Amino acid sequence: MEILHIEHLNFTYPGVETPTLRDLSFSVEEGEFIVICGASGCGKTTLLRLLKRELAPHGTLSGEILFAGTPLQQLDDRTAAREVGFVLQNPEHQIATDKVWHELSFGLENLGLPTEVIRRRVAEMASFFGIQEWFRKDTASLSGGQKQMLNLASVMAAQPSVLLLDEPTSQLDPIAAADFIATLRKLNRELGLTILLVEHRLEEVFPIADRVMVMDQGQITLFSPPDKIGRGLAHLPAEHPLLAGLPSAVRIFQALGREDDCPLTVRDGRQFLKQNYSNRIDSLEIPPYRHSEKVALEVREAWFRYRKELPDVVRGASLKVYEGEIFCILGGNGTGKTTLLNLIAGLSKPYRGNIFIRGKKSTDYGGNSLYRKNLALLPQDPQTLFIQETLREDLEELCRLAKFPRSEWEARILRVTQLLGISHKLSSHPYDLSGGEQQKAAIAKMLLLEPKILLMDEPTKGIDAGAKTALAQILQALKKEGITLLIVTHDVEFAAEYADRCALFFDGELLSSDPPSLFFTGNNFYTTAANRISRGIYQNAVTCGDVVRLCRENGVKEAQNEG
Amino acid sequence: MEDQELTLPAPSAGFAFASFHPAALLCYFLGVLLIAMFSLNPGIALISALGGLLFSASLQRPGVFWGSIGYLLPLSLLIAAVNPLFNYNGATPLFHLNGKPYTLESLLYGVLIAVTLIAVFCWFRCYSLILTEDKFLFLFGRILPQISLILTAALRFIPLFQKQYQKVRAAQKGMGIYSAKRFSDRFRAEIRVFSSILVWSLEHAIQTADSMKARGYGSGKRGHFGIFHFTLRDGLLIGMTVLLVAISLVAMGVGALDISFFPAIQPAPPSFLSVISYFCYSFLCFTPFVYEIKEKLKWKFFISSI
Repeated sequence: MEILHIEHLNFTYPGVETPTLRDLSFSVEEGEFIVICGASGCGKTTLLRLLKRELAPHGTLSGEILFAGTPLQQLDDRTAAREVGFVLQNPEHQIATDKVWHELSFGLENLGLPTEVIRRRVAEMASFFGIQEWFRKDTASLSGGQKQMLNLASVMAAQPSVLLLDEPTSQLDPIAAADFIATLRKLNRELGLTILLVEHRLEEVFPIADRVMVMDQGQITLFSPPDKIGRGLAHLPAEHPLLAGLPSAVRIFQALGREDDCPLTVRDGRQFLKQNYSNRIDSLEIPPYRHSEKVALEVREAWFRYRKELPDVVRGASLKVYEGEIFCILGGNGTGKTTLLNLIAGLSKPYRGNIFIRGKKSTDYGGNSLYRKNLALLPQDPQTLFIQETLREDLEELCRLAKFPRSEWEARILRVTQLLGISHKLSSHPYDLSGGEQQKAAIAKMLLLEPKILLMDEPTKGIDAGAKTALAQILQALKKEGITLLIVTHDVEFAAEYADRCALFFDGELLSSDPPSLFFTGNNFYTTAANRISRGIYQNAVTCGDVVRLCRENGVKEAQNEG
Repeated sequence: MEDQELTLPAPSAGFAFASFHPAALLCYFLGVLLIAMFSLNPGIALISALGGLLFSASLQRPGVFWGSIGYLLPLSLLIAAVNPLFNYNGATPLFHLNGKPYTLESLLYGVLIAVTLIAVFCWFRCYSLILTEDKFLFLFGRILPQISLILTAALRFIPLFQKQYQKVRAAQKGMGIYSAKRFSDRFRAEIRVFSSILVWSLEHAIQTADSMKARGYGSGKRGHFGIFHFTLRDGLLIGMTVLLVAISLVAMGVGALDISFFPAIQPAPPSFLSVISYFCYSFLCFTPFVYEIKEKLKWKFFISSI
């Protein structure tokens, strides 16, 4: 049965010339799992919001949206609210009440259900989503993953027949994200729930989707089962941002220009490699990594805990980062990576051990001198950096605080904003920028202080594949300028692609600082998908590019057999 | 930032007395406080102070409890000692200060006020530990649904605001904007942070409103749900409170508990009613302490018998 039917849908925001959505027509069957992807600004969020009446943006709309045969506008308020559930991007902002149990019952109270029914549904939801343990807790005390799970549960409590999700995992760490996706899969398979998911992290969702919708500039360019997507996008140039977001198996398949069935998972990817490519040449020649002799920063046996009665978070961690390196610290959530970064940035002090910034003890830097032409910390949430009404005012304020002569301000601001490609955004409010642009603006602000060392906390969090590639280019540019970059991340793929050296932070210590090709081939689980696909076939392929290069060098198997 | 998150249990978790229904608890605390504040009788004041002290000692860690005694006791001694300096009534001058008498009656009256203060302070402390905000909101949610929802949202928002404030401060400090030594610079920096968080709050509010609308907020009359259920023992607690408070009120009404301090101390003659009401009020005030200890012992017994 068709649950959603969209016909000739056009939508234009007020005051904008070009329509955001252009002549969309499609339908969704009951019980389908649909993934919607596309570069930022392609209209995918607008489309999703139009399907949820309460969240529909203002603007001119033509065409029709039918829910189970009835135009969406003709449903009564309660039915509309009940039948279509919506989960937003930021776990924090969606929670309305202070207690977990109250959040679960909130939607049901709104729908005016009798107390007995609410009690039963709340119990059901808490059991299904594994919330019993924290049922009576304050919502403020939950982790990000728990918060998003609570949001999902409190939407599901109303028993909607369609669930819409707008990048629900973008603010979560990989483990919480995988957990969340697994729950969506369970809802879809076990309850037959229809799901429309907007997502840019596709590695996990691709294999479980029934159909994938690719959008570009307000139109649907492709709407087909996931294994047809690779071939459907064959016409795109290799550096197209859309391709960077696809699962590794699909990217490898796509880059090799194959015509047969597209693998979606790591397992299928391994099969595909084994069947089609030989491993005569089983490793890439990677020149040994040489770093500068000068140490930019050093952590020597640092110990730290937040309070006397709490356990140590950092236990004798040692680290040397050389000048001009891109160094990535990887590790799970809550292991203390951010704490380590705060120690290096001088925001907290180790109770034992020392930190040296460019050869000088960090405690010997008086006043602001640690942060002047020296070291800067880019926090996880770039929004926390902006104080003023426009980006220009914000940057000017920093120039004033840094005591640059007024005549230089304009030139300095222009230089950093041009380097980061955001000079056209100077008069925007920082909060109005997209996730990727906010990231760039934040880096621009850091660069005004002319740091020699830039510390970054999860810079890839919440930004799509295109913005990630752009970020990587910026990092390369900064490296060329001689800036040392220390990045804390759990984005394994990003570190593999762009780091000079990686280290694993575990149990308060730093383990195995190696170049990515060594670091990741030494790991079995904590490694890239491309490495898992090629493990045992090729020796040191870590990125999709590596695998593709080796495949090309080896050539296709059949051709070899014939010859 | 998640590294720093600590999960603390809800304050009222683990207290035996907190397992009563919020309505019964509210009734109980109102009853105890009503008598304690308005009787102005040394016996009643002593009973309620003792009951309050014991109860709050059973709810708090020893360090916290003695810490609060540490400033409560000197404060009440001060009040008792200072009272005669402003109140010269009384027939028995102990000595003269600046030509004014410092009387025994006035001193004792000050002691009574001090003891009452200790009692009220302790009971309010227990009240805040036992009858947490969520229970209070539950009680008034039915009567004032809109206001209670706003309060709930505020309770949700306050910790979030504090967290964001710390994050922004840390971010600014990481650029070296906060390390300035001068007070005026620091003050200006605080103002900057505060104003930026106001914008952030607005952003937060818009998204929260979206999520509330998406879940049908404003689609008609709201239902009501709470995790508290009224049972027989809650009824018993209310019945007991009402009965005991009523007896004490009657005693107060007919003057059996009256005591006049000025010019000379003159208590009402002991009567059957006054003895009964002392007894009833003691029963009322010591119930939660005894209940708390009883449950603790019960658990000890359970654990040792496993």
